[in-house]
Amino acid sequence: MPGAASDSGGGGSAGAGALVPLSSETKQSPVYPLRHSVGPPVSPRVSVCWARGSSLRVSIFQQQSPSCGEGDVGGEVVEVKLSGGDGEISDAQWRRIAYGSMSPFAMLQSRRNSVSTLSRISPSPYHVDWWEFVMEYSKDINALLGSPRSTPASVIEDPKTVLKKSEKPTSLKAAWELMELFYADKLSQAWLPERLIDWLADYDSLFSGSCATVHSKLVDFQNELINIQVIEDNPRYWEVIGSALAVGWLEIVVKLLHLHGSYQLDQLSSRETESGLVEAVAVLISRMPRMRLELGDGRLGECYKAKPDFIKAWEKWRAQITKMDCSAYWIQCNHLQTREGLKNLLQIMLGNTNSLSSATYHWLELYVSHFLYVRPFTVGLESMHGLAQKCIQLKPVPRSQKLMGLLLGILGENTEVVLAECSKQFGPWMVAHAIELMTAGSDEAESLLCEEHYNLGELSIQELHRLVYAQVLSSHAFTWQIAPVYLTSCMKQGMGLLEILLCKQPVQHNELLHKNLEICRLYELDSVSSHIMKIAGVHHWKHGRKGAGVFWLQQARDEFRLHKIAQQLFASVGKSISDESFKQWEGLIELLGSESKTAGGLEFLHKYRDFKRSLKHIHDGKSIEAAQQAVESLMLLMKNPSTPQRFWLPLLYDSLKLINWQDRPVLNVTQTNLLLNRLQELSIARLRPDFVEADLPSQALSAVRLALATNLGRAILEE
Amino acid sequence: MEKSLLKLDKGTTCTSWNYSGDRLASGSVDGTLAVFDLRHPASSSFACTSRTKVDEGSIVKIVWVPPEYGDAVACVCEDGTFSLWEELTEDSLPVQWKLCERFKSSSAKVLDVQFGVSPSSLKMAEFQNVIDLVSPSSKTLCLSASISWNPLRGEGQGSSFVLGFSSDSPQLTSSKVWEFDRAHQRWLPVAEMALPDDRGDQVHGVAWAPNIGRPYEVIAVATEKGISIWHLSLNVEVDGRLSVEKVASLSGHEGEVWQMEWDMSGMTLATTASDGTVKLWQSNLKGSWQEQATFVPT
Repeated sequence: MPGAASDSGGGGSAGAGALVPLSSETKQSPVYPLRHSVGPPVSPRVSVCWARGSSLRVSIFQQQSPSCGEGDVGGEVVEVKLSGGDGEISDAQWRRIAYGSMSPFAMLQSRRNSVSTLSRISPSPYHVDWWEFVMEYSKDINALLGSPRSTPASVIEDPKTVLKKSEKPTSLKAAWELMELFYADKLSQAWLPERLIDWLADYDSLFSGSCATVHSKLVDFQNELINIQVIEDNPRYWEVIGSALAVGWLEIVVKLLHLHGSYQLDQLSSRETESGLVEAVAVLISRMPRMRLELGDGRLGECYKAKPDFIKAWEKWRAQITKMDCSAYWIQCNHLQTREGLKNLLQIMLGNTNSLSSATYHWLELYVSHFLYVRPFTVGLESMHGLAQKCIQLKPVPRSQKLMGLLLGILGENTEVVLAECSKQFGPWMVAHAIELMTAGSDEAESLLCEEHYNLGELSIQELHRLVYAQVLSSHAFTWQIAPVYLTSCMKQGMGLLEILLCKQPVQHNELLHKNLEICRLYELDSVSSHIMKIAGVHHWKHGRKGAGVFWLQQARDEFRLHKIAQQLFASVGKSISDESFKQWEGLIELLGSESKTAGGLEFLHKYRDFKRSLKHIHDGKSIEAAQQAVESLMLLMKNPSTPQRFWLPLLYDSLKLINWQDRPVLNVTQTNLLLNRLQELSIARLRPDFVEADLPSQALSAVRLALATNLGRAILEE
Repeated sequence: MEKSLLKLDKGTTCTSWNYSGDRLASGSVDGTLAVFDLRHPASSSFACTSRTKVDEGSIVKIVWVPPEYGDAVACVCEDGTFSLWEELTEDSLPVQWKLCERFKSSSAKVLDVQFGVSPSSLKMAEFQNVIDLVSPSSKTLCLSASISWNPLRGEGQGSSFVLGFSSDSPQLTSSKVWEFDRAHQRWLPVAEMALPDDRGDQVHGVAWAPNIGRPYEVIAVATEKGISIWHLSLNVEVDGRLSVEKVASLSGHEGEVWQMEWDMSGMTLATTASDGTVKLWQSNLKGSWQEQATFVPT
């Protein structure tokens, strides 16, 4: 449900959707100002109307009073989109993400369907690793969320550039990777702490806005680096090395150590001990054992997959550090800062909590340092969660940070909190797509999210969020066509909402109309497509585009309205109409065809059209062949039983000119007699109460009778 | 973030958007109907495309006719009459709004108009015959009425609507759901949405939510005591009536509720009241309805 919540700092901006399932306590709902330019006094009566999707249009009126100025506007209509975006992501970027995430989502759903079909047919032989599909889905979406990340490790020409300049990451990408890490990535489940360390390496910069971070300290130091002469004298040098080591950025540490003055060629001889010590520490660091599957290229450390191997290596490594700590060479080291700085590094590596605490700035950094140096074989979310609680008490939590709540919810295995955080901080897109990860990753999450709630009309939370997202997509002109993909994956209420969405699209413009009909065809929504075509037909008809109108009504098979149109065409019978209208009338008859069931008289109309055409040819009163042809048509019409009686007089009135042919009578005796008989029948019929008088001048009947009688006379004379 | 769409003429009293949200009809105190359209298809700014004088008095409410009948509106005027205007192009004349029909009755005042669609015809609900059904003999004084059709589009289903009044007769006032009884060719009340004690509460507005697949219907009723949300069951009981259940009582607006609108999924209700604010209401998972946001024009 697209609610509006979490105002991100003033300006009345409606934040991301806020269905918060867990909070049942009543809290004050947020109040948003609606800015408008209607001068006072403003009428308290405002009018609202929902536009497509989740946009609300509010009409504000000016109250009628004599004090209104002349130039004032009488009112204004403002539109509020209730699913306002993430501040970090621009509209164009959001659209790109929306378009791009449609196919991974659709692919996943179709795979899900085929898996369940397969499992129903034959339960055992196909062991499908569902999580692999989910990982593929996750990676596809991750690729949309920003440029590929770069590791903080750097191998660049300039040895003084410690941190590689990379594009600023977004919280959305960080959040997605967290979700992928904890829910979808089955391969990494055994090495969660290490994965978290990697994650922090990529996204520590996100926290720099609200508190000091290792990343920000590094950035500051790098900027100073050019100006420093003797780097090892600078206390900040040793600080940043310590901090980088604490969070596991080993490559940066080693690079920084190699900047130590004792490595310079002219210093090597006099500061042998120093450089020896520095190098020894650097080597120790680069050999650090890590409990993980693999390390990327250029990264330092040694990987161990199995716990016993790791423990052995770990103890050996720690023994080496302790031995180094007690070494005799320290006394020989003259440079105070070097000695103390290196010793601090050793303490960090030995897991001294005080050193770790002073080297890190916020709780996440402290947290990962614990995984690196204090408890490297932590496994299981429960113990990770416990450690997190401890770290939060010791170090500050970055304020107004979108990711904190999410991470804590994930660690606490609290599905409701995770959902609420995704919804509040990142919006309906995130929730709709991340639910796929959650249902794959955790049984508890799956049962919670797929359970049907009567209160929602027997919807599950999963389906609800897809509907909400689809509604958000429908609010924008560029993204409404994506909504059907999500709606059709909703079993219960998706099709209903899709039908409503399609029926609300305007029909004036052809591309949009065709797009709409295409979607109807794709999802076999015949009733919707005929409804839309009906609207298009009526719209075109009423706005003078009669041909287009008839075309659409025929497509819609709207017999009722086509019949009415045929009736209108009948009205032109017997009237003299301009050439222009005649052409149009002809064209319409062509379009209507003669197959229409209810408009049974269409056949008559066709014949009448032929008759009219031939009548046109006799304008000049000269051509006798044309006249004969006209007579043929006339007789055909008058003899034909399908010609409705009410048209006899109009037909004859139409052919007055023909009958009054100057040169010679065109009708022979038999024909004239037939026509006179018809006239007689007509006169009798007029006495009946239900007779409908044709709309002709009052002397029409007598004129025709006179003409026929004259003709008869002449015809008899001729024979 | 709000965005201004268009500016209205001086003296505008009411507005109404068409079914697809790209045309706006506004009525003003001097009886002018102004129609606004998008400047071009891809833009999002509107311009006034026509102004027609429809009546001498002020226009109180405008309702668009369902689109399968063309582009047309019904204008209800202060003097209790209403007229139907249609946009047409005739022959070579430019597009203009023309009068189709004017409905005037000397004995009754039209209080509200809404259109329902059935496969063969357009049904407009005025209140005269309904009033007669309810209280044929006594004279009741009605200040206002509210009606909302069931917005379903199905071809085979019958139409139904909910109707409530603000009057001095308790039987008339309470909101009822009416269905068309084909056998007897008339409208019958099949459910009443008021608790026994609240029957006499003045009804200021009713709104029937679009149902996209729920096993029950949701209807919002605004009375002097606040807004209440009702669930209407789809199963017909033995006596031909439908059962109702009141699921929420919402208070929050100070003042009389003017208008209630459901969004296209029927999950969010937007309401306006005489305190000049717009409030949004939604139900959470546990079924409890809460206010989600308030908008205050400043």
